[in-house]
Amino acid sequence: MDNTVKVKRETKNKIRVDFERAPLKERLKQKFLSMNFLKKVVFVIFRTVLLIGITYVILFTYITKIFSSIKSVSDFKDATVMLISKNPTHIQYLYILTENHYLKALITTFLVSLSVAFIQTLVCALVAYGLAKFKFKGNSIVFAMVIVTLLIPQEAFKNSIGSFFRQITIFDTTHNPISFVLDLLQDWFQIFGPTGSVESSGFVNSIIPLYILSIFGLGFKNGLFIFMLRQFFKGVPDELEESAFVDGSSTLRTFFSIIIPISVPMLITVFIFAFSWQWTDDFYTGSSFFNAGESTLTFMKDIAVTPPSIQKLIDGETVANAYKVAVTGTASILIALPLIIAYIFLQRRIVEGVERSGIVG
Amino acid sequence: MNTKYKTRFNATSFDSEANVYQTSPQPKPIEEVEVVEEVVVEESVQQAAAPVIDTTPDYVAPVRKKRFRLSLKSKKALSGWLFCLPFVLGIIGIYIPIIYESIKVSFFGEQGTSEVFSFSNYIHVFTETGFSTTIVHAVRDLIIQIPAIVVFSLFMAIILNQKMAGRTFFRAIFFLPVILSTGIIDALDAQMTVADALENAGGGVDTNSGEAAGGLVSALDMQALLSNVNLEIKLGDTTFNLVDTVTLLINNIFNIVSRSGVQMLIFLSGLQSISPSIYESCQMEGATAWETFWKITLPMISPMILVNSIYTVVDLFTAADNRVMQGLLGYGGEFLKNRGYYSAAIWVYILLVLVVIVVITLLLRTVVFYQRRD
Repeated sequence: MDNTVKVKRETKNKIRVDFERAPLKERLKQKFLSMNFLKKVVFVIFRTVLLIGITYVILFTYITKIFSSIKSVSDFKDATVMLISKNPTHIQYLYILTENHYLKALITTFLVSLSVAFIQTLVCALVAYGLAKFKFKGNSIVFAMVIVTLLIPQEAFKNSIGSFFRQITIFDTTHNPISFVLDLLQDWFQIFGPTGSVESSGFVNSIIPLYILSIFGLGFKNGLFIFMLRQFFKGVPDELEESAFVDGSSTLRTFFSIIIPISVPMLITVFIFAFSWQWTDDFYTGSSFFNAGESTLTFMKDIAVTPPSIQKLIDGETVANAYKVAVTGTASILIALPLIIAYIFLQRRIVEGVERSGIVG
Repeated sequence: MNTKYKTRFNATSFDSEANVYQTSPQPKPIEEVEVVEEVVVEESVQQAAAPVIDTTPDYVAPVRKKRFRLSLKSKKALSGWLFCLPFVLGIIGIYIPIIYESIKVSFFGEQGTSEVFSFSNYIHVFTETGFSTTIVHAVRDLIIQIPAIVVFSLFMAIILNQKMAGRTFFRAIFFLPVILSTGIIDALDAQMTVADALENAGGGVDTNSGEAAGGLVSALDMQALLSNVNLEIKLGDTTFNLVDTVTLLINNIFNIVSRSGVQMLIFLSGLQSISPSIYESCQMEGATAWETFWKITLPMISPMILVNSIYTVVDLFTAADNRVMQGLLGYGGEFLKNRGYYSAAIWVYILLVLVVIVVITLLLRTVVFYQRRD
C-alpha cells in the first residue's frame, strides 16, 4: 500500500491532508477478525460472567432473607410458594422492632461501636506509630506480642476474661479515689449498665471492660489494625518527621499534626473495620461477664430471638422451625441494614485506604 | 533515621558552615537557622555545666540535668516506648494474666475443684468426647480450604484490579462480606444453615434460606457424572477423593467468597504497589500476559500470599461455622458446662493451628521473594 498524501485543503495555518487508506471493510476485517480481538472478547465475556455469578452468590443469601422476611405463616404451609410470598405481611419486622426493642439496641450499639471504634483506632495508631518509626530495645518483642494477639483467638480466653474482671478488687473500697472516679464514670455510663456493680463484684455487668480492653489495644482484631497501620506508617517518609523535629516539634505533636492528617484514608479504613466488627460483635457483648441476664443493656445480638407474639402465632404449627429461621433472617437484615447504608457511602474509602497502605509481609 | 540526624548535627556543631552545605546539597534556610540555634543552646549548656563541676567539687550535678542531656537516640527510644505504652501495659496487666488463667484452668480444673496439676482434662477431652475426630476433620477441612481461599482471592484481586466498566460496583459487592459476614450475623447464618439442614433431613418444607447455591453441584449432577472416575490421592490412611473435594468446595462457594474479602484487599494493595514500569519493560521485551503473571506478578505478590495464608488460617479457625467452634460453643453443650474441658480443648486446638501456621510459613518461606527497595 503506498501512502500517497493528498492535500485536501490548505489555509494559512492549517493543512488538511488525506491519506490513502484501505477501504473500511478491509480495516474492520483486520480489526475484528484477528485472533487477538477474539481472545479479548472471550476474556471479557468470561470475566463478566464470573463477576456476575459471584455477585449473585454473595447477594443470594441477602435476597432470600429479604424475600422470606415478608412471608406469612400460610406461605410456609403452601408447598407452591418458593421465594415470592403469596400473602406478604410485615409482622416479622413489626414484632422485632417493637417486642425486641430494636431502637434501643440500635442506639446502644451505635454509641458503643462509635466510641469503641474511635478509641481503638487512636490507640492502634499510636502503638503502630511507635513500632514503625522508633528503634528501641524490645521493639521486636512488642511487635511479636502484637502478632501473638493476632494469632490467639478470643475464644481462648472466653472464660478467663470474665473471672479476670470479676477479680479486680482494688475498686471495692468506697474510700479510694479511683473508686470515686469510677463511680462518676458509672453514673455517666448509666445507660450502659446498672449502677452499683463496681462495688459489688469488679466489673461485672458493665460495659467498662470493653473500654479497658480498647484503651490497651486488646480489643477485637486490634492486632490486625496495629499490623496494618504499622505497615502504612513504615511507608511514610522519614523526612516529614525530621523537618518537624528540626522545627522544634515534639514527637507527640508531630504525630497529631503531621502523621494523623496524612494517614486519614488508612485511619478511616481501620475505623470502618473497628466500627462494623464491634457492631456485629457477639463475643464481648455476649459474654456473661458484662451482659448477664439481669442487665439492662440491649445490643444487636439481643434482637435475634423469636418475639413472643410470633412464638404464640406459630405454636403447634408444623412449620414452626422454618418460620423461626425466617425470623432469624429478618433479624439479621435489621442488624445489617444500618451497616449496609453506611457501607454504600464509605466503601470507596475502604479500598482506597488499603490500596495506599502497601501492606508488605 | 538516627544516623541521618547524627551526621547533620555533627556537621553543624563541629564543622564550618561550608561543610554543612556540602553535606546537604539543598540547604533549606529555615531549617538552617533552627539547627544553629539548637547547637548554640547545647554548647551553652555544656559550657555552663563544665565550670560548675570543676570549681566546686562537692557540688553534685543534679540528676535532672543529666536527663536533659539524653542522647537523641535514647530520647527517640523513650518516645517509642511511650507510644507503645498502652499496648505494653495491656499485655502485661491484662493479656498475660488472662492467658495464664486460661492455661491454668486447663491443667488444674476449675478453682476449688482440684488443686493438683494433672492432665485429666486433656485426657477426658481426648478419650471421652468426640473431640479428637472433630479436630482431625476440622484440620483436614482447613487444609483444603486455605489454598482455595488464597487462590480465589488472588484471582479475584487480579480481576478487580483491571480497568473495566462497573469496577467500583463489583468491588463494593465483593467486600460486602468483610463488613457483614462477621460476629453475630455470621453466627446467625451458621445457626440458620444448621436449622435448614435439620429441616431438609426431616423432609420438611424448603425454606430457601441459609446456604447459598447449595444445590449447585447436585443440580448439575456433576457428582453422579464423575463418580466413576476414581481420582483419589492416598495420604497415609486417609484417601482424598478429588471429585468429592471439588464438589465440597463448589458447594461451599459462598463460604469461600465471604471469607476472602480481607485477603482480596491485601492482594489488591499488593498489586497496586508493583511498579508499572516493570510491566512496561516486560511488554517491550515481548512477554505474554501469562508469562508476566508467573514471572512478575506472582513473585512480587508472594509476601502477601504468606500473610494471607496465615490470616486465612486464623480467620477460619475462629469462624462460627467451623466444626470445632460448633462443638465448643453450645451445639454440643458439654464444653460450656466445664471450664476445664473447654480450656483444655481450645488450647489443644490452638497448638494444632499454630503447628499448621508454622508449617505453612516454613513451606512458603522457601518460595517467598522479597524485593529489595533502596
